[in-house]
Amino acid sequence: MGKDKTDLLQGTLDLLILKTLLAAPQHGWGISQRIQQVSRDVLSVNQGSLYPALHRLERQGWMASEWGNSENNRQAKFYRLTPAGRRRLAEETENWERVSLAINRILQTV
Amino acid sequence: MIRPFWTALGTAFGRRRAERQLDAELRFHLEQAVEQNLRQGMSGEEASREALRSFGGLELTKEECRDAWGVRILDALRQDLRFGLRNLARNPGYAVLAAATLALGIGANTAIFSLVYGVLLRPLPFAAGHRLAVLRQQAPLAGVSSMGFSCHEIDDYRRQGQSFERLVEQHSMVFILLGRAEPERVRTSVVSADFFDFLGVKPLAGRVFLSGEDQPGAEAVLVLSHAYWQRSHGGDLSVVGRTFRMNNRPHRVVGILPALPQFPDENDVYMPVSACPFRSNPDFIANRNARMMRVFGRLKPESTLETARAELATIASRLERQYPDSYPAHRGYRLQLARLDEELTLRARPTLLILLGSAGLVLLIACANVANLALARLVRRDREMAIRTALGAGRGRLARQLLTESTLLALAGGALGLLLAHACLPALVTFTSRFTNRIQQIHIDGAVLLFTLAVSIATGLLFGCLPALGPRRDVAVGIREAQGAGTTAPARQRLRAALVVCQVAISFLVLAGAGLLGRSVVKLHQVDPGFNPDRVLTMTISPNWSKINDSQRFRSFFQTALERLNSMPGVAAAAVAFKFPLDQSVRSNRNFQIEGQAATDGGPRPVADFRAVSPGYFQVLQIRLVRGRLFSGQDHERAPAVALVNQTMARRWWDQRDPIGRRVSLNSGRTWLTIVGVVGDVRQYGLEQAPVDELYLPFAQSPAGVNVLVRTASDPLAMARQLREALYQLDAESPISDLRTLEQVRSAALAPPRLTALLFALFAGLTLLITVTGLTGLISLTASQRTNEIGIRMALGASPTAVIRMLVGQALLLVLAGLALGVAAAVALSRLLSRLLFGVEPTDPLTFLGVALGMLALAAVSCAIPARRATAIDPLIALRSG
Repeated sequence: MGKDKTDLLQGTLDLLILKTLLAAPQHGWGISQRIQQVSRDVLSVNQGSLYPALHRLERQGWMASEWGNSENNRQAKFYRLTPAGRRRLAEETENWERVSLAINRILQTV
Repeated sequence: MIRPFWTALGTAFGRRRAERQLDAELRFHLEQAVEQNLRQGMSGEEASREALRSFGGLELTKEECRDAWGVRILDALRQDLRFGLRNLARNPGYAVLAAATLALGIGANTAIFSLVYGVLLRPLPFAAGHRLAVLRQQAPLAGVSSMGFSCHEIDDYRRQGQSFERLVEQHSMVFILLGRAEPERVRTSVVSADFFDFLGVKPLAGRVFLSGEDQPGAEAVLVLSHAYWQRSHGGDLSVVGRTFRMNNRPHRVVGILPALPQFPDENDVYMPVSACPFRSNPDFIANRNARMMRVFGRLKPESTLETARAELATIASRLERQYPDSYPAHRGYRLQLARLDEELTLRARPTLLILLGSAGLVLLIACANVANLALARLVRRDREMAIRTALGAGRGRLARQLLTESTLLALAGGALGLLLAHACLPALVTFTSRFTNRIQQIHIDGAVLLFTLAVSIATGLLFGCLPALGPRRDVAVGIREAQGAGTTAPARQRLRAALVVCQVAISFLVLAGAGLLGRSVVKLHQVDPGFNPDRVLTMTISPNWSKINDSQRFRSFFQTALERLNSMPGVAAAAVAFKFPLDQSVRSNRNFQIEGQAATDGGPRPVADFRAVSPGYFQVLQIRLVRGRLFSGQDHERAPAVALVNQTMARRWWDQRDPIGRRVSLNSGRTWLTIVGVVGDVRQYGLEQAPVDELYLPFAQSPAGVNVLVRTASDPLAMARQLREALYQLDAESPISDLRTLEQVRSAALAPPRLTALLFALFAGLTLLITVTGLTGLISLTASQRTNEIGIRMALGASPTAVIRMLVGQALLLVLAGLALGVAAAVALSRLLSRLLFGVEPTDPLTFLGVALGMLALAAVSCAIPARRATAIDPLIALRSG
C-alpha cells in the first residue's frame, strides 16, 4: 500500500477498535475498513495485529462475539462492545486526549 | 506418544472448535479482501496474492490469536507435570517420604470409609430398602423397649394402617430337624407368606412361599438360607423337594435363598406362620396379650415416616381405649417406628463415625507434615523460584507448579493408600462384624475409589496451597537470600511453626482418645462381673418338645441330665438356668408386687428380671450369698414357693430392712413367693451396664431353662465332648448347641471396646510418628539454617549444652502451644467420645496429663538428636559455611 499511510502507534489499536464498535457490532474486516475510511485512508490497520487484538480484547471481556450474516450474506464473526468495554473506551479516550495534548504542547513549544 | 493424549484433551476443552472458528473468521476476511481487490481491477491471482500479503503471515497471526485465547493452559500443565516429575525424581527421598506419609493418611481414610460406606451409607440390598421400617411396641414405664406384637395387634395395624403397602410379621424359633444323620437344631425364622416379596428377595432355586401358605391347614413348607444350605447340605440342589420331620410333622423344602445378608437375623430355615406350632395354636392366636412377633412394614411411596408415625400413634391410642386390660396405663404403651437401615446399624454408627473422624485427623496431620516438608524444600528452591520469577514466570504460574507437584505426590500416596486399605480390610471387616450384620456389603468398589481419588486430590491441593501461600517476595531479595541461605522469610517460618503446633494439637487429640478408650478397657477388665467365669462351660439344650411337651417331663428331663452330669468325674458342679450372665439375650423382666405395698394407681409398678435356676447355679458361677440361704433340693415343686433377690433389688425395695421373709407376687397377688436369701449382683447384660433388679426362682418351681452350665475341675473344653455324649445318651433327639466357656463369652463381650481401643491406638501411633518426624524435621532444618549463628555462639563460648538447650527449648515451646490447643479441642469434643467410654470421664485429667507429659518427653528426646548434630560441627567450618 502507499507510503502516505501511517502505521498505528503502539496501544492505539485497542482504542480504535473499541471506538469503531461503539456505533454498531462489526466483523474484523468491517472494523479495518471503517478505520481506514474514517481516517480518510491515513491510518492503515495491520491485519496481522488486528485479529490477535480482537481475540485479546474479547478475552479481557471488553467485547463479545457472535456469528451472523455479513452484508453479502456470508457467515462472519461479529464483535460488539460489552458494558465493561464502554467504560474501557471512556478511560482510553481520556488517556489518549491527555497524551495527545501533551505531545501537541511539546511540538508547539520547541 | 504423549502428543495424541494432549490433542485429545485439547479437543475435550473445545480447542478444535475454536480453531475452526478462527479459520472461518480469517477466511472471511481474506475473501472480503480478494473481492475488494477484484473490484479495484486486479486479476484473480493478483487479488488473492495481494490479500495474503497485506495480512502479513497467516500462520503467525493465528499463533498470536491462540496466545490471546490462553489455550496455552494445557501446554503449561504438561510442562508443569514434566517439570514436577523431574523435580520429584531428583529428590527421591522427599518424594518417597511424602508419598508414604500421605499413603498412611489416605489408606486409613479409605479403609474406614469403605466400612462406613458399606455399613452406614449403602442402601439395603432389598428392593426399595429405604422404605422398609420396623414397628416396635414399647412400655417405657415398665422399662420394656420392645415387647413384640400379638396376632390381634398385627391384624389391627394391618387393617387400620394406610401408610404401608404391607406389614409382615416374623419371629425366631429354634426347632429340631430330623431326617438327617443326627438331629439338627435349626434356627428358624417364622414369617408371613409375603415376607420375601416384602424384601424383594428372589429364590436361588425353587420358590419362596406362596400367598395362602401361611393360612391354617396349609402344608408345612421350608425355605433354606444360603449359608445353611451350603453348610449342612453341601450346596446340593436336590434338597429342594425333600421332606424332613420337624415338630412331629413333615416339612417339604420348596426353595433356597440367594447369598444375601439375612434379616432381621441370621437363620437356617424359614417357615410360614401356619407351620409354627406355637404361633398356630388357637389359644395363642386368640390372646391379645401373647406378644411374640416382630412387625416390619414397607411404606407406600407417597407416605413418609412422620405421617406413618402419626397414623400408628392414632391406632395405638384407639386400641388402648378399646382394650384397657391389655394396655394398663401404668406400663405406658407407645408405638415406635424406625427406618430399618438405621435400626440395623445402630450399634456400629457411633464407633464407625468416631473412627472416620480420627482417620480424618491422621490425614490432616499427614498433610501438615508434607506441607512442612514442601516448605523446607521451598527454602532450598528459593533461588530457582527467584530466577523463574525474574524470567517472567507469573506468581500464579509458580503456585501452579507447586500444586502440580503436590497433587502428583498425593495421587501416588492415594494409590499406595489404596493398597494399604485393601490389605487391612479383612481384619477391619471382622472387627465390624461385632457391631452389625451388614458386613457382606463392605468392599472397595467404585464409590470407595471415587472417595480415595477425591481425598487424594483434595490432599494435594491442601498441602500444595500452604507453601504456595508464602509471602510475595522481591526478586532481587529472593536471589540474594537464596545465595546467602542466611535467614528465611519470617512469614514462612511462622507458617511452619503453626503447622507443627496444629500437628501436636491433633496428635494430642487422637492420643488422648486412645488413652481414654484404653483406660475404659482396663476399667472394664477390672469390673467384678459378680461371677467367676473360670472353668465354666455353657451349652444350650433344646429338648425335643414333641416328646418332652409338658412341664413335668421338662423338669424331669433336666433333673436327670443334671444328675448324670454331676456323677461324672471332673465335674465340680452343674446347673440348669434360663439364662447365663453376658449371654446377649434380651431382658426378660416382669412386673411384681410386694406384699403390704399397695400398687399406686397409674404409677409405674416394680419391675425385675427373673431367672429360673437350679440350686447348683450359684455354686457353678460362684455367686456370693450375702444373707439368708440359697436354693436347695427341698425347694421342689410341691414345697412353698421361694425366691432370691440380688443386692441391688434388696437395696431398692427394702433398703435398711431385711428382705428375708418378705413376699412378692408375679401374678397380681394370686400366688406369693417368699424371699429366702440375698445374693451378690451379677453383670447380666454387659460389663459396662450396672446390675439391674434380679429375682431368682428355683427351676423346680418354675421350669424354664435351656442352658446347662458346668463347672469342671480342669480344662473345660477338654471335657466338652464327654459332656455332650452323656447328654445325647439321655435323649438323642434333643440337640446341643452353642457350647462355649464363660471365659469365651466374657472376652466376646469385652472384644468390641478392646478392638475399638486398639484401632484408636493404631491411629494414635500413626499421628505420633508423623508428628515426631515433622518436629525433628523442623528442628534439623532450623539448625542447618542457623549453622552460622550457632558457629558464632560457640565461638563466643556458648557450650554445646546451652545451644542444644536453646534449640530444644524452642521446639518444646511449640509443643506446649500445641498441647494447649489440643487440650482445648479435646474438652470441646469430649461429648463425642463419651458414648464409647466406660468408667472414665471424657476429660479425664490423669489421661490428659499422662499424654501431655509423654508427648513432651518424646519431643524433647527426638529434638535433642538433630540439635546435638548441629553443635557437633566445628565452629570454624560453621562460620565459613555462612
